[in-house]
Amino acid sequence: MKNILLKVEKLWVKGNEKEILKGINFQIKKGEIQALLGPNASGKSTFAQVILGKPKYKVTKGKIFFEGKNITKFPPEKRVKLGLSLVWQSPPTVEGVKLSKLLKKISKKSIDIKEAKELLEREINLDFSGGEKKISELLQVISLKPKLVVFDEIDSGLDLERLKRIAKIIKRELINKKVSVLLITHWGQILHYLEPEITNVMLDGKIICKEKDFKKVFKVIRKYGYEKCKKCQLLAD
Amino acid sequence: MKNVKNANYWQINHKVKNIFRLKGVTVLPSVEAWEKFKWTRAHFDKKPKEGYFIWVKQRVDSPLITCISISSSNVFQNLMNLILIEKNVKVEINSFCNAIKKNLFGNHKGYSKIILKENSELKVRHFHNWGKKDKVAFHLDFLLKKRAKLSHTYRCLEIPRKLKTENNTHLEEDSSANFITTILARDGKVDISDSTSLNGRKSNGISRIRVVGDKKSKIVVHSKMIANAAGVGHLDCMALLLAKNSNVKAMPELINRNKNASLTHEASVGKISEEKLDYLRSRGLSEDEAIDLIVAGFLGEEEPIIVKGRVILSELYM
Repeated sequence: MKNILLKVEKLWVKGNEKEILKGINFQIKKGEIQALLGPNASGKSTFAQVILGKPKYKVTKGKIFFEGKNITKFPPEKRVKLGLSLVWQSPPTVEGVKLSKLLKKISKKSIDIKEAKELLEREINLDFSGGEKKISELLQVISLKPKLVVFDEIDSGLDLERLKRIAKIIKRELINKKVSVLLITHWGQILHYLEPEITNVMLDGKIICKEKDFKKVFKVIRKYGYEKCKKCQLLAD
Repeated sequence: MKNVKNANYWQINHKVKNIFRLKGVTVLPSVEAWEKFKWTRAHFDKKPKEGYFIWVKQRVDSPLITCISISSSNVFQNLMNLILIEKNVKVEINSFCNAIKKNLFGNHKGYSKIILKENSELKVRHFHNWGKKDKVAFHLDFLLKKRAKLSHTYRCLEIPRKLKTENNTHLEEDSSANFITTILARDGKVDISDSTSLNGRKSNGISRIRVVGDKKSKIVVHSKMIANAAGVGHLDCMALLLAKNSNVKAMPELINRNKNASLTHEASVGKISEEKLDYLRSRGLSEDEAIDLIVAGFLGEEEPIIVKGRVILSELYM
């Protein structure tokens, strides 16, 4: 148990009066890499945002523990200080604020990522390409010295070359330093470069499958679609 | 106030403390200009009592600086300023007006006329900083002759109880004026009136106003662009409301009297986006820190003032 970093217990979550997450059980160990797959609107991004404490979502039942501490009611900034962080799928533009200014405010350590240098004096996410947004996100979360990083669709909108480079940075700056990683992905491309130890499948707000061999999960999904997963709930809990 | 001694014109309350002259530039109290140069009388509607006259006859490499402060209680300043930039001359002016303490019940009233002759260029950075008991009203008239260029930024992050600003700009052929007005209003009334007339062909006017309404503030922005000739004009007014008990009324007005002119406007009044707040909080900033950062970004960074190669902060003059 000491080795468990994040533990989510029977979590039910509402957003806009609608039940989105329905009794999620999940846990990740220190230094572990896991993946969360699922079709659109299955609740993956909500799960990512709830882990970070986005106020819009209401936890109606269940608990979230981080290093054994119940953080279910903690505001986002307190969770970040404990070591949680999130790479956003579509981060918003913050007009007039240069990336370097934000980094100066939040950084616990300085990082040298070659690709990020030209972004530092630009306004956060303003006219950034898809790849530039991902680099900027990575730079921000790495500078926070996190213990766990949740990546929400890190592989969306990236060509293969970019994806390889991003995966290389994640490996060098996080995985090799024993930071836990949860890769939330729709397409699963990133998993070919960062092999997860456990792959979860989410459908309709529930985690319905946990499997060690992500290639096996892919094979089933590619062949039969996510519907097949519904019938295969053996490892879910 | 650390750098105020090198100002070209420095006035406290009603007293001129210092005038620092440069080659090719005449700096005088307005009343002396009225006596010495009879032609200036056409630009003042009556004999001025206080204020400055700046006449720039040749290019000046470092910016000119004017500082006008209130340091005692119940002072009523009634300033009349005249700035004249001769043909082909390029100059920058940094202008600072403030109350030295926050509870002086000062009254700062000003009228300035700024004339840019043919092919001249003027860049003005105008900073205000007031106490909650003060009242401020100033009126600026700009006249730009052919091919003249003006860039004017006004920034006030500590407003008085009442702030009223009025700009009237007249643009002749091929001249251009670019205004950026930035105000952070807390607990006070702000009334901004801004009018630009495109009187010559190929004239170009842009007015961008950024206002933030915090606690008990009432803001009215009336910006107007008038095309009397085939020019191009754009108005842009963006307002952020931070508190429930504040309000903003934005009224952009476009008047086109020439079919070959093009006028556009953009206006928005709204609250801080929750998504941006969530985003910054997910980077470890508290809600208040995130709001401060978003507001600072919205108002834009202060352009650095460079005097003799050194970067100077505007606070050092106020």
